[in-house]
Amino acid sequence: MKPVDLARKLRREAAFEPAALDRGKEALMAAIRQEVEPRRRPTIIPQLPYENVGAALAFLERAFGFQVIPASRLEGADGVVHHALVEFGDGVIGIGTQGAHGAISPMSGGIESQYISVAVGDVESHYQRALAAGARIAREPRDHGAGAHAYEAFDPEGHRWRFVHQRLREIR
Amino acid sequence: MSAPSDAEVIGRSLGEPEAFGLIYDRHAPSLLRFLGRRVGAKVAEGLVGELFRIAFERRKAFDPSRDNALPWLYGIGSNLLLKHRRGEARRLRASAQMAAARDRVDRRAGAAALDARLLFPRVADAIEALPDDEREALLLFAWEELSYQSVAEALALPIGTVRSRLNRARARLRELLESKGKGRERSR
Repeated sequence: MKPVDLARKLRREAAFEPAALDRGKEALMAAIRQEVEPRRRPTIIPQLPYENVGAALAFLERAFGFQVIPASRLEGADGVVHHALVEFGDGVIGIGTQGAHGAISPMSGGIESQYISVAVGDVESHYQRALAAGARIAREPRDHGAGAHAYEAFDPEGHRWRFVHQRLREIR
Repeated sequence: MSAPSDAEVIGRSLGEPEAFGLIYDRHAPSLLRFLGRRVGAKVAEGLVGELFRIAFERRKAFDPSRDNALPWLYGIGSNLLLKHRRGEARRLRASAQMAAARDRVDRRAGAAALDARLLFPRVADAIEALPDDEREALLLFAWEELSYQSVAEALALPIGTVRSRLNRARARLRELLESKGKGRERSR
């Protein structure tokens, strides 16, 4: 008898309970949901008001490397974007038309009432990218206390963004 | 309209993760039987869960030019089995006893029956003694009846390598069976 045929003689039929199949499916779907949910919905999503949402989205992608979540885009019948979510790392923010929820763009209001801090891996290369995209720099990159390295930039409507790298070893 | 291929379903699951459940529905029965054959139903159930979680996490790396995901899933299963070598060896020896008993009933005759009692444990030992990569190729081919092409996809090897690995496994089995046989004759 040939070796492979002999090996075949040791093959067993393997039965399983149908319930095992269902348990496996349930466990898989639970794992998939767990994997997916946190990325889709952070607990807190800041919403920023702009006069021109479309231009803001383009700038945020080009200058800061943010990504628009395609399914989140809300457009009017005229094709004008009213609102979209953008993500960066595991953070998400909303970019929307000013006035829609009472909030006003710094460009209209003449005042910045907050700034947003974003953790990045490499402050210098992020700074160069923003600079090349024409971002107005509010503070040049420099070291801060407690191992932080950061710079600050304005987007076209005057929202202030701080990009910071925190060296972990120096955190007590 | 024909059902979407595995590649299409996996592609869809990149944006719509729950779609991956269909891959489970299609292939979990085959994989439960495959793993059950190797390590028993109880361990197989745990392994099949692990297998599909790994497959889901790696779904981006699935080669979309392959319509059928089954060989790819077999490959993940083969890797998981490496951690269960001891249980597998026990099961293989038990299978040898069963095969020997079956053969005895079949033939009912003296000389042949004695042969089977000696032969099958030797086959089990010989399979057991194969290097991991050869044993895996052999069992996917002989037990799961995968084509050379599918074995190649499962083990992420060129088809020529699968062919030479199976040839080596055949030669080694023949050698191990013969040398043990001779050894016994000489000691008599």
